[in-house]
Amino acid sequence: MNWRNLLPLLHKEMVLELRQRYALSGIVLYVVSMVFVVYVASVKPTPPVWNTLFWLIILFASINAVVKSFVRESGARQLYYYQLADPAALVLAKVLYNALLLLALGGLATVAFTLVADSPVQRWPLFAGTLALGSVSFSIAFTFISAIASKADQSATLVAILSFPVVLPVLLTLMRLSAACFTPAGMPVDAWPDVRNLLAVDAILIALVFVLFPYIWRD
Amino acid sequence: MWWKITSVVLLLYAIIAGFLVPLKSGIERIEPSVAQTGEQVQIRFFGYNTFFARPSGETPIRVWLYYNDQYALMAQAVRPLNDTILEATFQMPANLPEGKTFVLLNALADHPTAGASLLPIALTLRQARASEGPLDPAWTAHPVEKLHLQKGFSFPYQNILYETIRNTYFHVPMWFVLLFLFAASVWYSVRYLRRPEADFDRRAAAYAEVGILFGLLGLTSGMVWANYTWGKPWSNDIKQLMTAVALLIYFAYFILRGSFSDPEKGARLAAVYNIFAFASLIPLLYILPRMFDSLHPGATGNPAFGTQDLDNTMRAVFYPAILGWTLLGFWIADLRMRLQRLKDKALGLD
Repeated sequence: MNWRNLLPLLHKEMVLELRQRYALSGIVLYVVSMVFVVYVASVKPTPPVWNTLFWLIILFASINAVVKSFVRESGARQLYYYQLADPAALVLAKVLYNALLLLALGGLATVAFTLVADSPVQRWPLFAGTLALGSVSFSIAFTFISAIASKADQSATLVAILSFPVVLPVLLTLMRLSAACFTPAGMPVDAWPDVRNLLAVDAILIALVFVLFPYIWRD
Repeated sequence: MWWKITSVVLLLYAIIAGFLVPLKSGIERIEPSVAQTGEQVQIRFFGYNTFFARPSGETPIRVWLYYNDQYALMAQAVRPLNDTILEATFQMPANLPEGKTFVLLNALADHPTAGASLLPIALTLRQARASEGPLDPAWTAHPVEKLHLQKGFSFPYQNILYETIRNTYFHVPMWFVLLFLFAASVWYSVRYLRRPEADFDRRAAAYAEVGILFGLLGLTSGMVWANYTWGKPWSNDIKQLMTAVALLIYFAYFILRGSFSDPEKGARLAAVYNIFAFASLIPLLYILPRMFDSLHPGATGNPAFGTQDLDNTMRAVFYPAILGWTLLGFWIADLRMRLQRLKDKALGLD
């Protein structure tokens, strides 16, 4: 794989995002309005409910943020990219870009959610790590599935039904980890098994993305 | 051909043996289940598949209430009322071991031909207040010894399971078959990506289809079983949830296959999704259940059986059942694949 193309490709994704700023603003507004809906619906959620609502917001925001990564550009233009750069580098750039985007969205959701519904989180470093791990895992799974779905005839619903079952183990583990962040700082917490599982799942998924992507992009 | 016959023979054996072999003798409950130290009590033992009234030869039926390996109380007199009810007279000792105010005793009945049967935590023996004096010699006078084993072929008696233990030969193999079929489906998806032949794609689809069928059967048989043993058919057990998710993945696979107007493209992308989904199925079925509590046997949801969950008579039916169901699953998938091939030929797609 040609790694030199990676940074220009990442740069291209960012430029494209800034050029179509309405999409980014749309996602940000989506997160803020979901947080507001939660605020209106339940004024003070208990920690387990907080956990569930928070990760649901993240899940739906992520799917909406990532789903466009392959439909944003026309098929002809994508074919042009595949000739200029290594397809593997292209998909890796998209995964990295989406991970950064999701991390930013996660941070935004955390801040907004903490403002309206007092966060029960006690261990912020662990929570930030959970958010980062979650962004990476969601980014890999959703980017790959949106690549598959973009080839189908109606792709919008397909992304959701194809990716929810795939990310469910990741989501459950993330919720366990973030629930561990609610315990007071004095108590010992063994977060390593969950972190290790998430890293293992990420490693499997990213390896599969590299192996399988060549079969997707060729038409 | 030979494997189809093997499948039928093994399944017939599993069904006949699974349903006809009797359970070992067991004690369902005893009455009363509470007693005081120092009193004389008549305790009725209600047996399951027992032969209390059957003549027992020179060795009489012996009955114990025991605390641990060291302390046990033997009944003074034993009188069978019929085959399933036994009346035992106990002279409760004057005090309890280890200075306790109450102990939980296990009931044990030993019949020379029907074997020994055990009911854990059958009786609570109370003492008004802890005594300092020496321990009543009755605790150590008649230790549990020279127990008999039931002769012949029989399945273990388990207090919550009773006869539903036979479901082991039907519910559990479904998961083995499901995994084998999904693995075969992925194998043919990989082959399809390496060499796009319509037959590989048809096989991958057929194995996934039959895998879903076995998943649904496993879920249903598990829910019937759970209704008897856990009290309700669905208790959000981690394995039930993971199974439902696994089935969702394969439903999504079929929706993806159907959403392409170009069948070759559909087959290729479905193959890619199949491989991707199978990889995410492994944490679903093997890692996650170990991380959450579960009602299933094995330590907190360990997906494997514990060493004590199967005895040798059960193994003699369980392993043939797995093999039989697996062969049947592949047989159905094979027929399904050939039917699809004929349909495609008739439509001129092949």
